[in-house]
Amino acid sequence: MQADVVTLGTLGAQAESTKSVDLATRFHLRTWLWLLLLSPVVLLLFCAVLPELFQLHDPQHQNLRARLLPPWSTSSDGFHPFGTDSLGRDLYSQMVEGTRLTLTIAVVATAIGGTLGVLVGLISGYFGGWLDRFLSRLSEAQTAMPMFLVAILLLSLLGPSVTILLIVLPTLLWPIFARVVRAESMRLKESLFIEAAIAVGCSPMRLLRSHMLPNIAPRILVLAVIEVGHVMLAEAGLSFLGVGVQPPDVTWGLLIAGGRPLLAVAWWLTILPGVLLAMTVLIFNLFGRQFERFSGAAG
Amino acid sequence: MRWSNRGSSSVDGKEPQLETAPDFPSRQPIMGVVVRRVRDGAITLLIVVTVIFTLAHVVGNPAIAYAPIDASDEEVALIEHQFGLDRPFTVRYFEYLGDLATGDFGESNWQKRPALDAVREAVPATIQLTLAGILVAGLFGSVGGLLAGISPNSLFDRVTNFFSVAALSVPNFWLGLLLIVVFAVNLGWFPTSGRYGWSSIVLPAATLGIVHGGRIFQLVRSATVEEISKPYVVVARSKGFSMPVVVGRHVLRNTGLTMATTVGWEYVRMWGGAAFAIEYVFAWPGIGLLMINGANRQDFFVLQSAVIVAGAFVILSNLVIDLFYNLIDRRINSAG
Repeated sequence: MQADVVTLGTLGAQAESTKSVDLATRFHLRTWLWLLLLSPVVLLLFCAVLPELFQLHDPQHQNLRARLLPPWSTSSDGFHPFGTDSLGRDLYSQMVEGTRLTLTIAVVATAIGGTLGVLVGLISGYFGGWLDRFLSRLSEAQTAMPMFLVAILLLSLLGPSVTILLIVLPTLLWPIFARVVRAESMRLKESLFIEAAIAVGCSPMRLLRSHMLPNIAPRILVLAVIEVGHVMLAEAGLSFLGVGVQPPDVTWGLLIAGGRPLLAVAWWLTILPGVLLAMTVLIFNLFGRQFERFSGAAG
Repeated sequence: MRWSNRGSSSVDGKEPQLETAPDFPSRQPIMGVVVRRVRDGAITLLIVVTVIFTLAHVVGNPAIAYAPIDASDEEVALIEHQFGLDRPFTVRYFEYLGDLATGDFGESNWQKRPALDAVREAVPATIQLTLAGILVAGLFGSVGGLLAGISPNSLFDRVTNFFSVAALSVPNFWLGLLLIVVFAVNLGWFPTSGRYGWSSIVLPAATLGIVHGGRIFQLVRSATVEEISKPYVVVARSKGFSMPVVVGRHVLRNTGLTMATTVGWEYVRMWGGAAFAIEYVFAWPGIGLLMINGANRQDFFVLQSAVIVAGAFVILSNLVIDLFYNLIDRRINSAG
């Protein structure tokens, strides 16, 4: 009996100490190398907040004498590192301009969908019963649907706009979070410290918020980082197909779409924004995976 | 060769759920499973249809979608009356279900013919493209994943693993455009778009194959890494069997089914998105191209039919894969 009490009391401390030892041993050169991977993300954030700082030209400035210039060329306006489009606008400056909306949509949509999914997952994992069956059924049904087509249907019915995108994208996203959080909270529910919390009279709300959520948080964070990348791809896809973001707004997906009719004469208009998008998503993917390994959240 | 399990990584928590075992108590007759799965599929299809109805009739208004963009309120009201849209939701809902059950999916206002006919014409092209795509993806993904998985953290593993993550990060439609620039515009090996003869399917199928092959690679690799660290592999190795023999005789028997199911799931996943964007890029006359054209022309009935037909196909494929898995894997039926 005595031993049990001791275990209970020191449980938290023990978990804490092993974790910090782990982190200390893992926090060496490779960690710093991986943190270096963050620098492009920081750069993108700067682009999103202060595009003027990075732009060489006004992204909307047209110069019909400098139409379809290939990358690394100079016009009367100055230097165009990524060339110009069919109206003589500087592609590089447009890509910088597109960063803001591309990142905003991805982050906000992931935040909304993630919150929704985490709530659903916590509730259905912890309470179980008919509520769990209903919610799981719902997320299963959604996974079984060709959601991309449903999104196209929805966007064309409601009229494509950024607001509608921020409703549609989280709808595609929440089951992923719900499934992971549900499994985690079902596992956690059986653990000793939750039992202890219930025994001392913790209310379900407090239990979920202060005891379950912090323990699932690393897993959620990893998932969110990876999903931001996926949401970027989804937004780009929908915008590319003409049912997402509409001009005159600029996102990377729209830039790719805009270059498509000129593919045979001006490859850079399509390829370069796509390279930027692919590299950004790749960084999010790699970083999410590495974070998973560091935090040991992979299990 | 290392035996550690350190190289294993889960793929963003979205692995297909293969653990169907708890659902089926031991010695459950297979017919019971079939009935259950068909019922589940039917419920899912009903949910799809209901969601579409709700979106169209409660959130949006088909009359507005049907009317010209500058139609007056009276004209919209007239259209509403014409289509019976001014009646209660419940009446319309059941009438709608009745229409769908009798194969009436509405008239395409763009093609001036039943929407279902237009979709039916597009289905074979989509099936052809997705099958070609899964062939490429399955071949590269499973062979690559197996080779990488039997030597975790080797150079080959690291390189292929990176490329598979890259394949997952590339926008599929953009990859298609890239292939067009390189192989159609510059090299002129394949046509840029359309569906004429075998050569036109190469580029779209390759695009689909690369994108989905990345995921298959990841799943097969982690399954192989897990299998290879099991004691029986060490025993077989210590008895002197070479690695190819152990893999061929023992490991593949255990992971083969997972691999097959993974490929199946990935095929279904193609119907969830990538295939349609790629159809648009290559002007491949399938469901995706039809839907985008329909969306640009506000053709609600074509959109609705396409979603329902594709949804039914996805549900049916899920059913087939599930049953296949249950039929083949004796462990599930007997041990449960």
